[in-house]
Amino acid sequence: MSRLTKGGWAAALVVLLVLPLYLTAPWLKAGQFMMVGAVGAIGLTLLSGQAGQLSLAHAFFVLAGATSYTVLAAPPGGDLIGLGWDPLLALIGAVAVSAVLGLAFAPVAGRLRGIYLGVASLSLVFLGLYLGQEATSLTGGTSTGRPPAVFELFGFPFSDEGGLAVAGVPLGETERIWYLFLALVVLAYVLARGAVTGRVGRAWRAIRDNEASATAMGVDVGRAKAGAFAVSSAYAGLAGVMTVLWFDILKPDESEFGTYGINISIAYLAMAIIGGLGSVPGALAGAVLVNGLPQILALYSVDLGWFGGTGEGAFTPVLVGSLVYGTAIVLIVLFEPGGLAAIGRKFTQPRRRQA
Amino acid sequence: MTELRVDHVGLRFGGLRALDDLSFTVAPGSLHALIGPNGAGKSSCFNVIGGLYRATEGTLTFGGTDLRALRPHQRAGLGMGRAFQNTALSPHSTVLDNVMLGRHALTRGGFLSCALRLTARQERVHRARAAEICDFLALGDVLDSPVGSLPYGRAKRVDIARALAVEPSLLLLDEPAAGMNAAETAGLAGTIQSVSEGLGISVLLVEHDMNLVMGIADRVTVLDFGRVIADGPPAEVQRDPQVIKAYLGTEAQT
Amino acid sequence: MNTFVQLSVNGIGKGAVFALLALGFVVIFKATEVVNFAHGSFVMFGGYLVAATRDTLGWAGAAALGIVCAGLLALALERLLSRSRHADPFSLALLTIGADVVITEEIVRRIGVSVPFIGDGWDGHPVTVGGITLFRTHLVALAVATVLIGAFFLAFRYSTWGIRIRAQAENREAAALAGIRSSHVTAVAWLVAGALAGVAVLFIATQDFSGAGLSRGTHSIALAAFPAAILGGLDSTAGAVVGGLTVGLVDALSAHYISFTFAKSAVFLVMLVVLVIRPAGLFGTRETVRV
Repeated sequence: MSRLTKGGWAAALVVLLVLPLYLTAPWLKAGQFMMVGAVGAIGLTLLSGQAGQLSLAHAFFVLAGATSYTVLAAPPGGDLIGLGWDPLLALIGAVAVSAVLGLAFAPVAGRLRGIYLGVASLSLVFLGLYLGQEATSLTGGTSTGRPPAVFELFGFPFSDEGGLAVAGVPLGETERIWYLFLALVVLAYVLARGAVTGRVGRAWRAIRDNEASATAMGVDVGRAKAGAFAVSSAYAGLAGVMTVLWFDILKPDESEFGTYGINISIAYLAMAIIGGLGSVPGALAGAVLVNGLPQILALYSVDLGWFGGTGEGAFTPVLVGSLVYGTAIVLIVLFEPGGLAAIGRKFTQPRRRQA
Repeated sequence: MTELRVDHVGLRFGGLRALDDLSFTVAPGSLHALIGPNGAGKSSCFNVIGGLYRATEGTLTFGGTDLRALRPHQRAGLGMGRAFQNTALSPHSTVLDNVMLGRHALTRGGFLSCALRLTARQERVHRARAAEICDFLALGDVLDSPVGSLPYGRAKRVDIARALAVEPSLLLLDEPAAGMNAAETAGLAGTIQSVSEGLGISVLLVEHDMNLVMGIADRVTVLDFGRVIADGPPAEVQRDPQVIKAYLGTEAQT
Repeated sequence: MNTFVQLSVNGIGKGAVFALLALGFVVIFKATEVVNFAHGSFVMFGGYLVAATRDTLGWAGAAALGIVCAGLLALALERLLSRSRHADPFSLALLTIGADVVITEEIVRRIGVSVPFIGDGWDGHPVTVGGITLFRTHLVALAVATVLIGAFFLAFRYSTWGIRIRAQAENREAAALAGIRSSHVTAVAWLVAGALAGVAVLFIATQDFSGAGLSRGTHSIALAAFPAAILGGLDSTAGAVVGGLTVGLVDALSAHYISFTFAKSAVFLVMLVVLVIRPAGLFGTRETVRV
């Protein structure tokens, strides 16, 4: 990385660390939602962009992570199952459960190519929908759902407790969650970059580009694919934990269009595509657009009085967001398949040495 | 001993016999060519050796190890490197990155090791070696260029470099001169010879270009309709009437 | 036992509609090698036009308009796809995902909270035959689908277009060399697929079939075309019909015997099972990779 780029990232990080002192809670919530997207998108771009395995199952693993965290960290006793784990362990557990589920799907996925895999992966979302509704002792059911345990780090609660303040600005739940999510995004990003530039990333790309030659070079294709699924599902599971902390409730969907539905799988895929399939920084940019736009629009609409209507013909923020990212996918595929990452590279490296 | 023995190998696709009672041996350190008219079964033979297809009869041993007992991806670890007919490289990745793939069997590390940068030292060591191999093949100046931007001839060298990165004792080259002009082919011949003689690596080469083959090969095996019809030094094979008949379709006029 | 027969017959009726969708899907795949994730939006578009013009044009007129326009939308998408310089099927499939989001969201916006019934051109009362109650919609669907599918197969086998598209699917280059205008063949393929989707929506968005009119749920129902086409084999038109009927049956039976929500999963699970046993679908051709 050039000095300029390093400086850029450092500056961005400083800004992100300082923002809670300046922004009000609704804005922080919007930023947090982008961070949730970022973690999920990174995982999907690794699976679909690096390893070339198209997956529409992401929402299922998000649900798995969300449910696991809630169940593991909830206090035992009562109608709903809870194991009373420490929230940090519950988070790790949720990620592990999602990874294991990803591993479980891998052998099935391994037998399928390209687009067959994409459609087959849809089946998991429907399965998740069904299980979410049926396993009410785990999920709380579609009408009530259940609240997640307050996240704690070695006893420090991520809630309004404790009256913490910095430079006169109180650091309540929203601010603390901001820092938690930021740390998770940074972790997710750094780990992913390590993988992409290392041996495992090379093996994934080899599988994506030509399985036969990857095999000839010594890559155990089945095992590498399984690894990619496990990693991607782990990321999705983490995004699920973040999702449930953001909504402050675990509520399974009533239809295939909801918080854990096909639309979410497509949204994550959109983030990866718009960012540039396979690019980890691109996934961040994609998440800011896909998850951020509706949030920002909703906030501005309060100021500007847009989106007044509901009912027929209303352009809600979510709808506008969907139209934008749907169009973005079309434009990206047609004109710049490398996505925002490629566009960004054109600005930072205007002259590439051609051999 | 890094000898490749193909022993009475047969390959059947349903009713079609692609290979029939194939036997030949690649002596260690030799440059062995596999030739034959189109459809003779050269690619099938290669794919059986490489593990892409399972032989329906016969045995294959490499350095004493029974290849039929191995899973396809285990060949690299055994010292078998392969370059492909259509290069099969990752066009968007750099030359060095592509060559580094060849080091896969010589390195370790899954997601967590790489993510936590535990493999940093290993990366450095192997990158240096990969750069050395690229230098050997006159690719030192394009290490960081995307393979897709290279001219065809240079891309083929990257493919060979990648196969060499496996540190093979046997190098399988699948029609390396395909699509090359006379000058490029001559250059390629020199490269293959320096690999074989200079590095002492056995080379098994599938080729159509007769000049290339006859010029550099130590031994030639000729296939036709999935069978071996001649096997010996180039000069001998060239004179063999069966070979002439297979290529020209008529009895040679003496 | 009666219930079982009733469910089966109704299931086949539903299956006939899915077969129409799956058939269009497969035709597109044969023509362009693209998995068209926007198929649901064709359904929505056709249905929207019927709902919007029903009062002015009457049901038959609106239906005809819907069918034609659904075909034209498909054609428009095909034209867009052909503009892409990066022709690989994976990217094009992604493009159709984007298109599907845009088209479907816009239509859902226009529909809003109302769930317009597009009505039916036949009397909606159920028919009782030998103690079994059958939904009239399903019977009409079965009849219409049989006629359309039959006509399609005749065209596919014997017409010039049919021969051309099969040749093109077999070997694109050779077909082009033989003078087959790829763009024409492909355009007709998408047009036909869109039109079939336009026909399918006439049955889907009815009380009998989905218990509702046109809504986002219609798009979800149309999604069942994917497993139908895939389990039959993406490049097999016969497979599409078998797949569609299978999906209809599985849907009807599992909705009743297990649960309504599980029915959706059941359809996809059946597809998964088929794929595990035959990775290219029941009648699909296995891809051989040339190294």
